[in-house]
Amino acid sequence: MNTDDLIKSLGSELTPLPRGYLTRQIATGLLAGLVGTSVLFFAFWGVRSDLVGIFGDLALFAKTVLPLVLACLALFWLHATARPAGRSGAARLIWSIPLALILLVAMTLVTTPGDAWPMALRGKSIVTCLISIPVLSVPVLIGLLAALRRGAPEHPALCGAVAGLGAGATAAAVYSVYCIENSPLFYASWYSLAVLAVAGCGGILGYFFLRW
Amino acid sequence: MTDELDDMGRTREDRWASLLRDANAGGRASYVQFLNDIAPVLRGIIAARCGRPKEDCEDILQNVLIAIHEKRHTWRDGEPVGPWAYAIARYKTVDAMRLSMRRPTVSYDGSELNVADEASHDPTAAADLDRLLGQLDATSALIVRQIRLEGRTAEEVGRTLGMTPGAVRVALHRALAKLSALAVADQTEQSGKARE
Repeated sequence: MNTDDLIKSLGSELTPLPRGYLTRQIATGLLAGLVGTSVLFFAFWGVRSDLVGIFGDLALFAKTVLPLVLACLALFWLHATARPAGRSGAARLIWSIPLALILLVAMTLVTTPGDAWPMALRGKSIVTCLISIPVLSVPVLIGLLAALRRGAPEHPALCGAVAGLGAGATAAAVYSVYCIENSPLFYASWYSLAVLAVAGCGGILGYFFLRW
Repeated sequence: MTDELDDMGRTREDRWASLLRDANAGGRASYVQFLNDIAPVLRGIIAARCGRPKEDCEDILQNVLIAIHEKRHTWRDGEPVGPWAYAIARYKTVDAMRLSMRRPTVSYDGSELNVADEASHDPTAAADLDRLLGQLDATSALIVRQIRLEGRTAEEVGRTLGMTPGAVRVALHRALAKLSALAVADQTEQSGKARE
């Protein structure tokens, strides 16, 4: 077929686009995933009973809010990576999260006596944390990846990894209201590890499923 | 790729943006004009990157145009059109080169199907074609059969399938590309078997 004919055919196939189509797809995927994650969370985890204390304690507050901010930044970044030549300032802002974590950890190291560090780091629920966050991230990750099939990422693996980062961070924020660990030493290490693992899985999935 | 630096370039970017905006609202004339306008630029980008015979580049260009069509919702009004379209062209060119590195280059435009049809004294050829068509989905196989083998027009086939002629042509284009890939994979497999 010659190219002019193809262009004519494409012209005759044209249908008007709904506004913000891709954004809506991603939002729908995210929402569907959130429903799944919430159902899982309330069925098998549940909110810790002393959650009200969260507002009085910076470390405890950050445990939920930092992943929440990370999830938002990752979603903006995701929207950019899903589009050819897409750009977003969120990609750079994302570094504020590890920076904040480092500050929090430094503050904790200063205020906690040295012999209490290993205890704080180990906590009581490393395994629970490392399993829960990836499991809770599954519905969101699936929802996002499904929506991203409508996108056109220049780098499918990167796009998948950013989706994983968003899903992992969302799951971490949700899990944080169950988790009874209060020390930044604990969550800066294990939450981060879990979220990065989800991002890695997202990258692998993206590599295979987000080609177009 | 040099982006629009000169004055003329700037107006070109503006023109593309307004055409594409119009197209996304359903303006067919603007859309065709946009594609016609950008195709030569994309052809240049593809030729510079793929360094292969002209007809291969033209195949890639057609894939790029289809990709632009299918992914036109990934352009956001207010963002430059050029870099967006160039990125799609780059992606599809790299993709095509990656595929061709894995497989020997065989150009396959559908005319081979006619040959196979005429060479009916060689039953394996027809059987081969049937087998290859059998690996496509039913609609695609039907479109290839009716247009390439029975010589019917896209309009006729579209009527029986309830598709627009344009959709039929795009489906045909895609089916042929897939057939080509299948045929090559088949060849590689067979020569592999022969070696054993």
